[in-house]
Amino acid sequence: MIGFLIQRLIQAIAVVFVMSLIVFVGVYAIGNPIDVLIDPAADQALREALIRQYGFDQPLPVQYVTFLGNMLTGDFGESFVYRLPVLDLILSRLPATLELALSAMLIATLVGIPLGIWAGYKPDSLSAKLIMGFSVLGFSVPTFWVGLLLIMVFAVELGWLPSGGRGPTQEVMGVDVSILTGEGLSHILLPAFNLALFKLGLLIRLARAGMVEVMSSDFVRFARAQGLPERQVVSLHVLKNIAIPIVTVFGLEFGSTLAFAVVTETIFNWPGMGKLIIDSIMLLDRPVMVAYLILVVILFVTINLVVDLTYGQLDPRIRTKGAA
Amino acid sequence: MKSFALAGALAAGLMAATALSTSAQAQTLTIGVRAGPESIDPHWSTLGSHAEALRHIFDTLVGVDEDLQLVPALATSWTPVDDTTWEFKIREGVKFHDGTELTAHDVKFSIERIPVVTGPMSMTIYTKRVAEAIVVDDYTLHVRTNGPAPTLPNDFIRLFVVQDDIGMEPRNEEFNSGEAAIGTGPYRLVSWEPKGDLVLERFEDYWGEEPHWETVIRKEIPNDPARVAALKSGQVDMINYVPATDYAAMQRDSSVETFIGDSVYILDIYFSFADQLPMKVRVDGQEIDENPFQDARVREAFDLAINRDALVRVVLEGLGKPANQLMPPHFFGGSMDLPEREYDLERAKELLAEAGYPNGFEVDFRCTNNRLPGDAAVCEALGQMWARAGLTVNAEAQNGTVFFPAVSRKEYSMWMSGWGTLTGEASYTYGSLVHTNDPEVGLGAFNRADYSNPELDALIQEAAAELDDDRRAELFEEVTEISMNERILIPTVQLQTVWAAKPDMLEFTPRIDQETLAHHISPAQ
Repeated sequence: MIGFLIQRLIQAIAVVFVMSLIVFVGVYAIGNPIDVLIDPAADQALREALIRQYGFDQPLPVQYVTFLGNMLTGDFGESFVYRLPVLDLILSRLPATLELALSAMLIATLVGIPLGIWAGYKPDSLSAKLIMGFSVLGFSVPTFWVGLLLIMVFAVELGWLPSGGRGPTQEVMGVDVSILTGEGLSHILLPAFNLALFKLGLLIRLARAGMVEVMSSDFVRFARAQGLPERQVVSLHVLKNIAIPIVTVFGLEFGSTLAFAVVTETIFNWPGMGKLIIDSIMLLDRPVMVAYLILVVILFVTINLVVDLTYGQLDPRIRTKGAA
Repeated sequence: MKSFALAGALAAGLMAATALSTSAQAQTLTIGVRAGPESIDPHWSTLGSHAEALRHIFDTLVGVDEDLQLVPALATSWTPVDDTTWEFKIREGVKFHDGTELTAHDVKFSIERIPVVTGPMSMTIYTKRVAEAIVVDDYTLHVRTNGPAPTLPNDFIRLFVVQDDIGMEPRNEEFNSGEAAIGTGPYRLVSWEPKGDLVLERFEDYWGEEPHWETVIRKEIPNDPARVAALKSGQVDMINYVPATDYAAMQRDSSVETFIGDSVYILDIYFSFADQLPMKVRVDGQEIDENPFQDARVREAFDLAINRDALVRVVLEGLGKPANQLMPPHFFGGSMDLPEREYDLERAKELLAEAGYPNGFEVDFRCTNNRLPGDAAVCEALGQMWARAGLTVNAEAQNGTVFFPAVSRKEYSMWMSGWGTLTGEASYTYGSLVHTNDPEVGLGAFNRADYSNPELDALIQEAAAELDDDRRAELFEEVTEISMNERILIPTVQLQTVWAAKPDMLEFTPRIDQETLAHHISPAQ
């Protein structure tokens, strides 16, 4: 078990290293952040001075080694744009994104899995066909378009829900939370649903496919032959067997929702990390880009670890193999 | 009976309460803005949206009106004492938000603080002419300049004044939290977070005209459709930078009122004058060594083939004006004598033939797609207009993040970029764009076209040192006319900006610098 964790840790460090190198080289290839940021009235001397001040006159390897050295001491640097420590900047946006991503995953899971199971249990019924049709829409219609449509209908035409932004926040154990008030909920409903839509479609299809496959397997027939009530067959034997692919996809989707909720956050003006990273890319704010991507790598590695550990719980065979 | 009276009193109380709450609502103005500040430290960045937001909290030494012309602000007057000294009289009785009084010491401190704390969008461009600031008395400040600096008051329209005891160190956190954000402006800071809401409340002891709104909330909504939706759903009272497509729809929509104003931004076409073009032009598919843009006839042909009326009417949905120079003509140093640009396709073809390109040539043309409204659309339309003159222009609109560094590396042969004369006078524009790129004199920093004309350089330098306003205006008019007749750059259209608000809610005069200032917005009568 410990060996497994150490192996994962080494993997994570290697990925962080490679990724930071790619970002560095990428930004270097695009050009000098000063040329994007500088004021049109600046003269040549000022431009040179700024480039020196921020160390962009150094060769790339030197810039990179300096950055690595600082990072090892826990210093990710300061944003060029805000002059705030990047870690503070990113972490201050994390609660909003976390809240949105969790709400979206919750909607996707609570709605998607039961619908998928139903569609797989009665694959030929009309309701199953409707559900499947909906799922196709869910992941084939672009998020930004659905988002705009939701705003047009529920915010502009009907006026039921706000068109964007986050509701007032309360501090719960040091974290700002907005979903505890009615106003906060009304703000999060549209973006969370918008973000959930793709995952909803995916989970419906996964649950259905697993369901169809497992329902025709031998052990289900045996269980039925044994005279077990249908409810018990499904909830005890079938669900456990379709859970593994669902957990895998859930994990991956949760990671990508956290890291790349950019489109939804932009359309609904949700003050999360996605908007921050897009703005930073536009301005070549390299410290923020690198720190954010490192955070994303850590996030994915952690989620994958949790997923792996969950497999063990769901399927004893994987546990035995891991131990061997 | 008694209970009846009680009910009546209750009802009256309720009604009063409702009335109160509606009037309190009318006291709050919520604006959806495209961009906000990057910090609450006013000396951090020269970015337009930064200055716009912080103008609510801090005042500048010199003010500007809606048309970028200088007006008194914290300084009541400014006069040159000699060639290298300006005297600023500081307004008396101005209070900071904490009750202390403004003196010349605060102004001196602010000038000296800028080089220490400013960021990559460096504010030192506004203080670089200052050699020394000398406090004569509490309300008189002498500013000694390195050489004659006639435009110093123009530079000081961005000189935000802070208190002289807040310390020199860069401390964005303390400004953002409000601790150090003490200005003399019409509003005081309540709260702000990066990319979030800026909440302001009226400062009751403001020296100027009392602002109308008690509370102002500036919500940052960078996405265009999201900002429009926020207005239509009633989340905000007003928005800036309405996209041209939504503007067309809003004109038929009685639930929205629009305001249109000229902007300082003009889309200009730049040609590289380098002997070897970075991206060579092609004649009949063959790259040629010559640079056709060195020939004035070719530049004129490009100019004549532009149908500016069509650009405005069709491409910009009417939100623009044909431009015949690099800044609005009535700005200081602009020329009223320049004729409107003509559209003459036949003459363009003739000129190309005379220059030795009877079948035109092929050239790559780059521009931005996210910097100014309509930039990409104008760029692509231009490509088609030139095609009608027999030229093959491959227009490609790029993200500014890619475009600007490439332009500064001089990788393009021909490009289009917006330029805003933010100081309202010509030295800013012509000194930067058409003067030879000469680090020695600090001019021509944005002359990426490698244009060089000693006669014009001498004129610009003479004008930049001329303290007599009338003479300086004359010299810059000459600079403008020479540059435009030479077609060093070709101006195309001056952009206009649209604001939108709930109908009959407020009165607002658009400003040419496009700033949306709550203290200049009043409730509708």
